[in-house]
Amino acid sequence: MAEIVESSGGKGKGDGKVRAKKLSTRVDMTPMVDLGFLLITFFMLATTLSKPTSMTLNVPDKQEDKQEQETEPLKASKVLTVFLGRNDDVFLLDGIASNDDKAPEELKKVRFGTELREGIFKAQKRVNSQFEKDADGNLPFVVVIKPTEVSTYKNVVDILDEMAITKTKRYAMVDFLSDSEKELLGDRIKPQPGDQ
Amino acid sequence: MAKVRPKKHPPTIDMTAMTDVAFLLLTFFIMTATFKSQEAAEIDTPSSISAIKVPDDNILMISIGNEGEVFFGVDAQPDRIRMLENIAETKGLSFTDEQKKKFSNQASFGFPLAQLKGWLDLPAPEMGTVKQPGIPTDSTGVSELADWVYAARKANSQLRIAIKGDNSAKFPTFKNVLANLQSQNINKFNLITDAEEPPAGWRSDSE
Repeated sequence: MAEIVESSGGKGKGDGKVRAKKLSTRVDMTPMVDLGFLLITFFMLATTLSKPTSMTLNVPDKQEDKQEQETEPLKASKVLTVFLGRNDDVFLLDGIASNDDKAPEELKKVRFGTELREGIFKAQKRVNSQFEKDADGNLPFVVVIKPTEVSTYKNVVDILDEMAITKTKRYAMVDFLSDSEKELLGDRIKPQPGDQ
Repeated sequence: MAKVRPKKHPPTIDMTAMTDVAFLLLTFFIMTATFKSQEAAEIDTPSSISAIKVPDDNILMISIGNEGEVFFGVDAQPDRIRMLENIAETKGLSFTDEQKKKFSNQASFGFPLAQLKGWLDLPAPEMGTVKQPGIPTDSTGVSELADWVYAARKANSQLRIAIKGDNSAKFPTFKNVLANLQSQNINKFNLITDAEEPPAGWRSDSE
């Protein structure tokens, strides 16, 4: 293919001598290249080059049969509560408890991405400027993440990732919704008939 | 008068260099190849900015499918057989060598214990085509996941737990998986995600 063999018939010199035809010592490499690239294609498609990454998640011990440790109740003003709702909606409740009268107006619906990140940063800034670091040198800002039954696994990973991005060191994932929170969110966390 | 003609060269392209390159690349891909293993279900993982790579060996993978099915898999084949033997012992079942061998060839599976034998009796090519219902994880009803985790950790105590969930898996399934793991006093695990670029200007604290 790469080499076109010249025809040498009938063009010999007129002296009548039959000469041995000079054979080329060249080996045609084309089929070998074909094969090489075929195998490359196969191995490229069959391998997983980009290894998945992993994020570590540590959850607190269940503490069954143990005495519940006495902890100081968290001040609502230091807490940003994040509810994960249906259709990737996120509800932020910044600095007030869910049973507060102002809660329904303060509840903010945001989307994942910049909107959520801005909300977290705003709350972070407010809390960290209002309060001092605690005895261990931790920042006072705390995020409570409350996934609901209509949220997805992706939402959970995304919000944990958002914690890493905003460098929020203290966050807790709580899958328990209090009655006042259920009332506050109402229909927004109930499965719809259309959902699976 | 004979004309002086330039000597006719055949139009040749030297393929040797190309062969060299092709085989160099081929060698590279063969050396770095880790084959995609047959998974019980296609799982589309969410992405995160985390830069921690998933360890290569001693992985216990719990996968959550998009409809909430839970699959279970251990990476090393000897561990798979020992795991099956362990669970057979605790549940009073017995498996033939043929079934054990077939089981060890599966990267992951999602069958309740009661249906597992029936699946292992199928001819090998059919095993991949059957729809797997997932391992029961319901924290209130029957849950076999915790038993499998126990059996796997008994087979290999070095196992690290990785959870690989689908984007659209619902949170309650994930919660059930967590509850199963916590019942075994496992409080640290890896969530497997795709890599994602951190936002511009973001720096990791550990650097």
